[in-house]
Amino acid sequence: MADIVFWFVAFITVFSAGMVVTSKSLLYSAYSLLFTFLGVTGLYIFLWADFLAVVQVVVYIGGILVLIIFGIMLTNKITSVNISHSSMQKGVGAVVAIGFIASLGYMAISSPWLQAANTEPAETTASIGRLLLMDYLLPFEVASLLLLGALIGATTLSRKDEDG
Amino acid sequence: MSNLESLKFFWPELILSATALIAILSDLIYERKDSHKVSFWAIGGLLLTFITIRLFGGSSINGLFMGTMALDPFSEFFKILIVLSTIIVMLMSFNSSELDGYRKGEYYTIMSIMAFGLVMMTSAIDVLMFYVAIEIVSIMSFFLAGYLKRNPNSNEASLKYVIYGAFSSGVMLYGLSILFGLTGETNFFAIKNAISQLGPDSNLALILSIVFILVGLGYKISAVPFHFWTPDVYEGSPTSITAYLSVAPKAAGFALIIRFFNIAFGSNSAMGSDEWSSLNSLPWPFLIALLSAATMTIGNLVAIQQQSVKRMLAYSSIAHAGYMMMAIPVMSQSGIYGLMIYLFMYMLMNLGAFFVVMYVQDKFDGENFDAFNGLGWKMPLLGISMTLFMVALTGLPPTSGFVGKFYIFAAVIEAGNQYYWLAFVGVINSVVSLYYYIKVVRHMYFEGERSDIVSLPESKLTTSLVLVLALPTFFLGWYFSPLVEWANNSLNFFLGI
Amino acid sequence: MDNLSNYVLISAILFSLGLFGVITRRNGVAVLMGVELILNSANVNFLAFARFGGMNMSGHVYALFVIVLAAAEAAVALAIIINIFNNFRTINVDDVSELKQ
Repeated sequence: MADIVFWFVAFITVFSAGMVVTSKSLLYSAYSLLFTFLGVTGLYIFLWADFLAVVQVVVYIGGILVLIIFGIMLTNKITSVNISHSSMQKGVGAVVAIGFIASLGYMAISSPWLQAANTEPAETTASIGRLLLMDYLLPFEVASLLLLGALIGATTLSRKDEDG
Repeated sequence: MSNLESLKFFWPELILSATALIAILSDLIYERKDSHKVSFWAIGGLLLTFITIRLFGGSSINGLFMGTMALDPFSEFFKILIVLSTIIVMLMSFNSSELDGYRKGEYYTIMSIMAFGLVMMTSAIDVLMFYVAIEIVSIMSFFLAGYLKRNPNSNEASLKYVIYGAFSSGVMLYGLSILFGLTGETNFFAIKNAISQLGPDSNLALILSIVFILVGLGYKISAVPFHFWTPDVYEGSPTSITAYLSVAPKAAGFALIIRFFNIAFGSNSAMGSDEWSSLNSLPWPFLIALLSAATMTIGNLVAIQQQSVKRMLAYSSIAHAGYMMMAIPVMSQSGIYGLMIYLFMYMLMNLGAFFVVMYVQDKFDGENFDAFNGLGWKMPLLGISMTLFMVALTGLPPTSGFVGKFYIFAAVIEAGNQYYWLAFVGVINSVVSLYYYIKVVRHMYFEGERSDIVSLPESKLTTSLVLVLALPTFFLGWYFSPLVEWANNSLNFFLGI
Repeated sequence: MDNLSNYVLISAILFSLGLFGVITRRNGVAVLMGVELILNSANVNFLAFARFGGMNMSGHVYALFVIVLAAAEAAVALAIIINIFNNFRTINVDDVSELKQ
């Protein structure tokens, strides 16, 4: 049963990711992206990453996806997207993508990944918190400065200037 | 070392981050027309950072903050270079008329945060730390490139920058995830231990991961084939920012590349080590040498065709990245310190050249070669300095540019006859670059009207800034032993020789 | 589902599709969506390696950082795109070419 669910989730993820990059309409792409994100969330749950699964839903779907849809709506290009990609470019893209799928896929199967004996699923939140405030305290603090900078910059760019 | 104990070695970075916070707070106090005064706080903070870097210099500790940061003379050299160039660029921005009509408080704040990210890049020894540091630098430079938000060129620059920047960091991240899968570690030293125990069947994964990581890092130093964003971004950004982007992120990027590959993939002489060559079964040094040759050649060939001096300098900075990359495959001690000396010289002359371009842009309203006509007669100081910068960028004696090139070429030739061709390509490229650098000089002295009225730049700041950049460019060509010694000492600790 | 290479394979496909999107799309927002796919593929990798490496929690912290920084990057990109749109009224990467000579 779990296997069936897994392959279903995997199929949703990959199929909707394919829709994201091939759909003619930007808005359809964005909606397909929703299903990709949901599928990836499902994969996270299979990987026992409960905290990350929640973060994925909250930040990716609740934040980034909404931002993207906002961007599409505001720039008012919903139905009239005539992205003039020539077939040539598509061909090149397809060749590159298939090449990467083949080589990365071969790598995925053949490489001796670091594996340990399977442990029991455990709650991850506490250990993530411990790592963030112990081993990775510095990157954590530095990331806060990054977010401050991003905040300042984004408001500077999108603010309406009073005098033109 | 635990987080609390590490704090006392972290003063320069703490002061730098406090500088950014104070800058944004002080922006609230000033009126809009006084918003440039934020820069006083920012420059003051940077000077303080500079002093503390010197005060805490000399020690060598690996593993600050639970093994995410290193403190050593190697990073000290790059930190000083970065802080100096940030101060110079902030001073340059005072006179930039491009920025008039925009609030300047955020400009200096974002620059301080970017300087902080660059400083972190030079000393990160943890993959997570270096990813966060790179992202700080990227995101802040997107804003700075697009700071002239009503100028379509600046908009386009930041759009291209953000899209290709996000893409390249995504690819790099995928490479890092493969590396994580093979080693399960994030610390450079732990990664090295894990890699040395890998068998030959992990070669493919390791090669792919290195290639992906090089995409992200190559983007930062604008190496071919990840250079395509450079000219548009450099031309569209405010000129002061172009000068900054062409120097500081390159320095930090090279520091990171050297540190990462040196520690994680080999002992002491990164790409020359047995592990590096036997484990990956690909001729890495040769491939990188090839990329370096391609980088300088493409940069030079396109620079020749440019009509705008700013765009010409953008392409020529790609070529300079190529010269600096020559030092990576040889990765000997002399190669790395050649690179460090070159970076220092390059900072002075490139900032100087962009400063003159910025001045001409403001005063004569144009950045094409024609805007420089007769400049040498109208303003002898600028003319002579620009000539000096151009000669130095070509790498001719008796300027500092020659010294920098000399050390790099010497290291390449020293590395053995398999690299003679690389040195040869480098020399040919330097000769080619003479053509377009001298073109600027020709326009300044032999084209246009020769005016009899001689003038100095109106502002004393401009005059002194030009002198601050031009004098060392000249005198370091004569007397460079302190710099060489400094670079050499920085390396001794790093390589443990 | 209890096999590491399945996850890595899915992530490889996601990565390649993202790459395809970045190469073929010319619209700024569409390219950004391709980049999001690439970031998600890296995250699936991190979490898969974390679980099969004996719950190596570093992978989780990694993924958390990636999500945070991706959010920041997306916000920045959209701020820039909206700003451009105000000036240009178009957001196709190649059409916006005042600079190309």
